[in-house]
Amino acid sequence: MSRWRYFLMRLGLMIPVLFLVMTIIFVALRMGPLDPVAAILGPEGTGGDAVAIREQLGLNEPLWRQYLDFIWSLITLDLGQSWVIQEGRSVNGLIMIYAPRTIWLGLWAILLPLFLGIPLGFYAGLHPNSWADYLASFSGIVWLAMPNFWLAIMLLTFLRRTDGTRFDWYQIGPEIRSIIGTPPLDFIAITDGFSVLPFWFTFDLGGFLVAVKLIIPPALVLGSASMAAELRIGRTAMLETINSNYVDTARAKGLSNRIIIWKHVFRNALIPLVPIITNEAVLLIGGSVIIEYIFGINGLGALFFHAAVQGDLPLAGSLIFFFTLIIILLNILQDLLYTLLDPRVGYER
Amino acid sequence: MENTMMFLLLKDRLVLMPHRKTVSRRRFLLASGGVASIGAAGCLGDDDEITADDTADDDSVDDDDDPDGLTNVEKAQTAWDRVVEHPHPDDEDVRNESYVEMEEAIRDDMILLPLFHGKSERFSYEWVDMPEMGPLGSHHQQYHNVELDTGHEHKDENVFEVINSTVTTLDPIQSTDTASSVVIGQVYECLTTYPAGNLELENQLADDVEISDDLLTYTFHIKEGVQFHDGEELTAADFKYAWRRVAESPGSRRASFLLSPTHLGLVAETDEDEGVGPANVVPDSIAFEVIDDHTFEIELTDPTPGALDILSYDAFAAVPEGYVDDLEDYDGEVSQEEVSSEAMRGTGPFEFVAWSPGDEVSVTRFEDYHEGQPIPEAVHWIILEDADAIWTYINERNADAFGIPTAHYDRDLVDAEEDDMGREVGTYAELDNGDEVNYVAVSDISTFYFAFNGGQTITAARQAVAYATDHEELVDLVFEGRGTVAFSFTPPDLWPEEVISYDDWVDEWPYSPNETDIASANEVLAEAGYDEDDPYELEITTYDDPTFQEAAALTRDKLAGSGMEFEIREAQFADLIASGHDGELQAFSLGWIWSWQDIAYGMFGFEPANTNTDLIPEQADGYYLDWEQVDDE
Repeated sequence: MSRWRYFLMRLGLMIPVLFLVMTIIFVALRMGPLDPVAAILGPEGTGGDAVAIREQLGLNEPLWRQYLDFIWSLITLDLGQSWVIQEGRSVNGLIMIYAPRTIWLGLWAILLPLFLGIPLGFYAGLHPNSWADYLASFSGIVWLAMPNFWLAIMLLTFLRRTDGTRFDWYQIGPEIRSIIGTPPLDFIAITDGFSVLPFWFTFDLGGFLVAVKLIIPPALVLGSASMAAELRIGRTAMLETINSNYVDTARAKGLSNRIIIWKHVFRNALIPLVPIITNEAVLLIGGSVIIEYIFGINGLGALFFHAAVQGDLPLAGSLIFFFTLIIILLNILQDLLYTLLDPRVGYER
Repeated sequence: MENTMMFLLLKDRLVLMPHRKTVSRRRFLLASGGVASIGAAGCLGDDDEITADDTADDDSVDDDDDPDGLTNVEKAQTAWDRVVEHPHPDDEDVRNESYVEMEEAIRDDMILLPLFHGKSERFSYEWVDMPEMGPLGSHHQQYHNVELDTGHEHKDENVFEVINSTVTTLDPIQSTDTASSVVIGQVYECLTTYPAGNLELENQLADDVEISDDLLTYTFHIKEGVQFHDGEELTAADFKYAWRRVAESPGSRRASFLLSPTHLGLVAETDEDEGVGPANVVPDSIAFEVIDDHTFEIELTDPTPGALDILSYDAFAAVPEGYVDDLEDYDGEVSQEEVSSEAMRGTGPFEFVAWSPGDEVSVTRFEDYHEGQPIPEAVHWIILEDADAIWTYINERNADAFGIPTAHYDRDLVDAEEDDMGREVGTYAELDNGDEVNYVAVSDISTFYFAFNGGQTITAARQAVAYATDHEELVDLVFEGRGTVAFSFTPPDLWPEEVISYDDWVDEWPYSPNETDIASANEVLAEAGYDEDDPYELEITTYDDPTFQEAAALTRDKLAGSGMEFEIREAQFADLIASGHDGELQAFSLGWIWSWQDIAYGMFGFEPANTNTDLIPEQADGYYLDWEQVDDE
């Protein structure tokens, strides 16, 4: 089977999975105990209004009809309006508002461990049983063991109390008023005319730095567990690779240590890390409801949670549709990365 | 003092009510329900025949019964019918006596156990000077007279910074939550208002009102020279348009507040072809007649003593005629999606600037506001839900006025005294950052309770829970003292003192008030045939609010080893309400918050026929009690 046929097959297999997920969310929200009308009206609501809303949302239609409408709206990407969370706003609009926040957090929650965890792990693997190794391995376990919500609260308290001290987090780099809240993501914007940069974008460096500064603490917390995981697996992978026979051979034929490590060992040691990293990419979309809450960043995670518990079918359904889509695509990307990193992995039987 | 001055200023404004009224009329059943009341009233027979003296000819006598042979259900039903038959302002005594009778029936059948009345607290930094809020809640407060001392080292800008929870809509006819109404109240205005949530209704956009002798026709004169944010002058036609939106717009969530006789009850034509529920109103048929630019007349189906109070509700706010495209005969400047998410145009002290969902909302002052230029240049809300996020934001001195999450609250830090309005005013010291802040607390007009389904519980079990509950301890332990103990559904602020003083009522409360009386609980359970070996099983459903769960857990622990096995189920709010509608809750916890000052607005839900969950929500709108099914043995 050629690589492309394999990918086509994988893409084809997405369809039944998507249908299954759509059906599950429909069953859970429409046939479960949740009533969007009760959520809309609150305890003060009266019967007459409930009847009208039920009719307006199409909840009086037979269930199979509602199911078909629901599936059709997702397939055609005509996602409609939110029922409960922000009545009247289009689901597309809501996703456009909430998604960048989660992506920004997720991006840094992946980048930070990638550029901290893996180098530390490799370093520890290259210098096994040294003090540096002990320190890195020990801190890895500590990072892994600390629960995120606790770490987040501690970090918030610590940073808040630096106000007015010599290490004043509020004053370091760009000045910020608060360490919580949604980072301003308008540092990049589409222009209608000329700009310094090529393309049609403007880029505001100050705004960018503020956005980065605000996102670093939550990203560090959110990425802490993955950072530790990458550190420990990176160390093991490096140890295993560096002790393999071909390294001895390379050494025997006189290659310099630098070439051995960067050209051969590094690449091979990355292989076990690929699934770890791509799985972490799920953070990009789901984010972490808890971290988003504590740092006051309202992203997709929190939005989905609210939508699900209030029976907001169009919103919750659309979000889970996209989550599933992205997770499947990430898996396919993971397979692709394997074949690039390790040519022995192929698709022939 | 700045505050006293502000208060006098408010008092100078005209209070327009002809009579002091605390009662509004509720119907026996919703008119739209279409179910004959005789069927719903069940054993009580035709409700027309029941009067105060005419008791049902039921000769079974129960211990709990009144001397005249009424069961508690009948007593409550009779009392409510009497309320309905006496809507006139002069009959307030009759109504008040009836309310107390209903409270007695609730207490004796223990169909609902009141736990506590809420308490609102507000903290503010020393650079803030704003009027104290009243018991109807701070979401009634407009911020135009908030003074900020920008000379203070920690306050640079004349922008009022506040924290809000998730806002769902900007459209007054769509809003059903306080977070949205806080924002809407700064931009839109109604005919009447409760300034800062105090219990004295005042004119907002109304100048004067004449009420006909039959209490059915109201003629309003609205203020002249009031401008919308685009400079157009407010006219009577704008009110008509705004109210038509309440009745006819598909986005309206409170059409029944306008049309249902249980609320305002405006006369309107209906037609089955137009839709279901209140949506069946014929376009442009509401009985609202524009007489001239500043005068209009409305006609009600029944006398509604609470009409002027109801008109202070957000949904009745003035909107410029033809602003939105949701009525057939108007093209509209903005679409319905825009008016609920990115466009607002009212007469209020602040103009809308931006709303970034889940992030922030900002409004800026309207220079031509009809009561003079607002003092703050702008108001900015950050949207935060998490206790730690809120606590961080507060300690960074980013919020000017705020509430403190219970997790970070310590009641020993409060130093406050009661003022002449019954509010506690003082200071709270200190916050994490070392600052002392202003403190004000006021009892809300709200009641939080455990309620029971009459058909699925036995009276002894309900009474046992009441015996086991120690109200003071509950408020202390679970709510950190942020509430006042409740022994009646009607809060003390509304209690009809003329009939029986509230203190006497509490003294007479039979279920060992403020102590845990497991012995008595076991006694009533034993009489019903339950003991430790064969306990009565009771499942209570609480919604996912930690305080209610703790309250239920406290009761469960107390009843451990007694003749009752008390189980707790947790449910999401929407799940709880939906199960309530279906009559599936054996017991549940909820709260009732009065939107306006009116005993009936809480009592209507106890009318036994109105608690029938077979008819809720379409044809009845009481609490989920199935009170008529109580077994009197």
